[in-house]
Amino acid sequence: MRNPYLPYPVVIRKITDENEARDIKTFELVFRDDADRDSFTFRCGQFAELSVLGAGECPIGIASSPMEQKYLQLTIKRTGVVTSALHNCEEGATIGVRGPYGNGFPMDMLEGSNVVIVAGGFAFTTLRSLTNYILHPDNRGRFGELTVIYGARSPGELIYKYDLEAWAGRDDLQLYVTVDAGDEAWTGLVGYVPTILKEAAPSSDNAVAAVCGPPIMIKFSIPVLDELGFPPGRIINSLEMRMKCGIGKCGRCNIGDKYVCKDGPVFTFEELQNMPGEY
Amino acid sequence: MSELEELLRETARQLLAEGSIELVIGYERGTLPLRTTPCFIRDPDQVERLVWNASCENNLATYLHRATGKVGIVAKGCDARSIVGEIVERQIAREDVVIIGVPCQGVIDRTKIEARLDGRDVLEADVSEGLITLRGEGFEETLNLGEVLSEGCVTCHHRDPTLYDVFIGEPSGGAVEDRDEYAAVQALEAQTADERWAYFANEFSRCIRCYACREACPCCYCAECFVDQTQPCWFGKGDDLSDVMAFHIVRAYHVAGRCLDCGACVRACPMHIDLRALVKKLEKDVRELYSYEAGLHLETVPPLATFQPDDPQEFIK
Amino acid sequence: MANGKWQIASLKIAAFLDDLLKAHRVFAPVKRDGLVSFEPIGRGDEALLGFRNSKRSPKEIFFPCSETLFAYQEGEITVVPLLEERRVIFGMRPCDARSLILLDKVFDAPDYQDPYYVARRENTVIIGLGCNRPLSTCFCTTVGGGPFAVDGLDLLFTDLGDRYLVEAITERGEALVADSPHFREETTADVNLKAEIAARAEQAVSGPSVEGVKEQLDGMYDDPFWDELHEKCLGCAVCTYLCPTCHCFDIVDEAVNAQGRRVRNWDSCQFPLFTLHASGHNPRPSGKERMRQRMMHKFRYFVENFGEVACVGCGRCVRECPVNLDIRAVIEAIRTS
Repeated sequence: MRNPYLPYPVVIRKITDENEARDIKTFELVFRDDADRDSFTFRCGQFAELSVLGAGECPIGIASSPMEQKYLQLTIKRTGVVTSALHNCEEGATIGVRGPYGNGFPMDMLEGSNVVIVAGGFAFTTLRSLTNYILHPDNRGRFGELTVIYGARSPGELIYKYDLEAWAGRDDLQLYVTVDAGDEAWTGLVGYVPTILKEAAPSSDNAVAAVCGPPIMIKFSIPVLDELGFPPGRIINSLEMRMKCGIGKCGRCNIGDKYVCKDGPVFTFEELQNMPGEY
Repeated sequence: MSELEELLRETARQLLAEGSIELVIGYERGTLPLRTTPCFIRDPDQVERLVWNASCENNLATYLHRATGKVGIVAKGCDARSIVGEIVERQIAREDVVIIGVPCQGVIDRTKIEARLDGRDVLEADVSEGLITLRGEGFEETLNLGEVLSEGCVTCHHRDPTLYDVFIGEPSGGAVEDRDEYAAVQALEAQTADERWAYFANEFSRCIRCYACREACPCCYCAECFVDQTQPCWFGKGDDLSDVMAFHIVRAYHVAGRCLDCGACVRACPMHIDLRALVKKLEKDVRELYSYEAGLHLETVPPLATFQPDDPQEFIK
Repeated sequence: MANGKWQIASLKIAAFLDDLLKAHRVFAPVKRDGLVSFEPIGRGDEALLGFRNSKRSPKEIFFPCSETLFAYQEGEITVVPLLEERRVIFGMRPCDARSLILLDKVFDAPDYQDPYYVARRENTVIIGLGCNRPLSTCFCTTVGGGPFAVDGLDLLFTDLGDRYLVEAITERGEALVADSPHFREETTADVNLKAEIAARAEQAVSGPSVEGVKEQLDGMYDDPFWDELHEKCLGCAVCTYLCPTCHCFDIVDEAVNAQGRRVRNWDSCQFPLFTLHASGHNPRPSGKERMRQRMMHKFRYFVENFGEVACVGCGRCVRECPVNLDIRAVIEAIRTS
């Protein structure tokens, strides 16, 4: 029986500053032991408990696509004790990961459908994983049309700019990148994500929408999706909760009878409507 | 039901009916013998629930931390002093609280009852005329109420509220028993440091970090308690004796000069830890150093929250 | 000694425990500082036989208040060795034994097993003591248990006066007793007396029925019932920490420079910090939401997930709540809501 509280040691191979405020960084991690890497087969939408010995752990959605065999990427915003400790780590340092945990995105619903991704700010991480997964040549054929609508407060706060550039050149997805407010250099879309979503008006025909972002963005995006004809059972969302064990034992991340770490973090809006509003 | 309780209920009814308060915090009958339980009454027709007896052991002032609007509160001597402290420390405005003062005969220490019963289950209890009768399967015992009062109550000199808006009944008089309230503290002072450490280490070895002591205490109202801080993290949260004792010692210092030995912490503790040994010592020190007793006057500030140029300072070496 | 039943004279219990001590760590009820607790004994005669129940539940023998998951130094992790020593708990009450079955559902789940807890369960034999005289605060029978129920026990001892009837519930229990010289053949009179005692004890237990409570709670999340229920609650953790089925915990690191440990501590849904996000958002911002969570978890969510109410009716929360917030009254209020 493997001890589920023991982290796998991983080495930080690369740290990338993602935003102008420099409080969001992507950590590229390599497993120290190949056997650990093989145990860590994950799906889009799952998360890992990142461990910094001496500071603690935090649950972070996995930002790299499962098609990347050699490394894991997790994008972390500096917020509290553990994320601050992570931001103080240097390339070459060893930290730990536990997981993969969570239910991940419902691939059986997504495959064979058109996929509309609506993301805001820092919450783009697992949807970026999903986008890269769908775009991979081994997978692209199993999905229909792909629409990605991503926005941030300002151009400097957009993350994964290198991916956004690469995707812009492709013809197998429709990409809308927007900012709430531009700057002198910005030539792209300007407008809140829900507004751009409304203008883009992706068809809900055989489509699934995945929405992740700050509560206010979600609040205004849902009515737009509703108007476009997306039923609540075909809109998916990934929740955040304070977590500790990640495996449904410590009791703290529940919403009703569901544990966000185990039964989630991905839920359809239909499921959320049937759950108590304590999140 | 006593005459006092009738008066209490009538007072509460009037206050609620005339709209001067929205809520009365008092005591009602509990679900177990020798228990009452705090109650929150908003409807004048509900005042029949209010009781006042020797089982009214909770210090209701702790509920003022969360109170909104104008509230009435049933207060015995110690509770009223706690309310004075809360007003002085600006946790509640004087005009937002209507203190319904009640005379106090002392409250029962249930651990003393448990010790006398030695495992027997009490099914009924009556208190009248200074006697308490306990009945259970195959036994009936009568004790003097004085034998089973909370230690702090036995020597309490402020049995009636020093501050009140209404006072129900007759004043209580002096202490229940005329003996030195600091006898237990002095016994500890006479021990060596090692002996005291061993005593406290044993007491705190039972602590389960439930924080009932902190939550029951009217002085403890910090939005973030020092034990819950993470940046920085001052003490561990587990059962390491050093961390446990650090919590209790620091908390004792935080309430020093404000604590009036109401006993709420001791009575809340499920593990019967002798918390009074710490807080009573600090209360004695404050009294000796600054001639100060907490919660008696709205005009005075606790000595550790202020500074006078002629404050004694031989303890600063 | 037919059908795994025996008799042992009360005076021989100490000798039996002394024998067990040769090969096991033995936990038994003792009185320390005026309170009854389950502690390791050094001699058989230290065990207290005439007690009602312990202040703290024996869940901590499997799920301690605080335990080190692993230690670390300069980035290298040293796991705390799992329990290998064989242990016996003598004198556990049926309510507490039943709680272990409920905790098993959490800690020994099909998807993840907690190795610390599982090792302790595997290495511990549980000898139960039936409750001839349940307390007035006990309500085990209304939540799926009973004063002589055997869920979670390896052996059941029943006090018949000058002797005990001993019944093997599992093979593990039987093995502990089968070759011991202190046990005699039981008599029909023993068995009949036990039946009488058990029947009387069951009659003596009363409490609120939980029938229909789950269904009531299914529709009560937004009910104003919760608005005032929590008002007198202090928000301490007495109920959750003394409760034999409460299992919530925190994981924290305690370290100085690069050396320290990752430790698991009991935690409580009654603390505001329990669900506080790093952003400052708290899904359960007040006592109202936290009290609702406690009741819902025990009588609705646990039932939904595991088919059982997460309460064994031991009555500790009833006796120990500093403000006499009585779970029995709450259940009744929910039922009749």
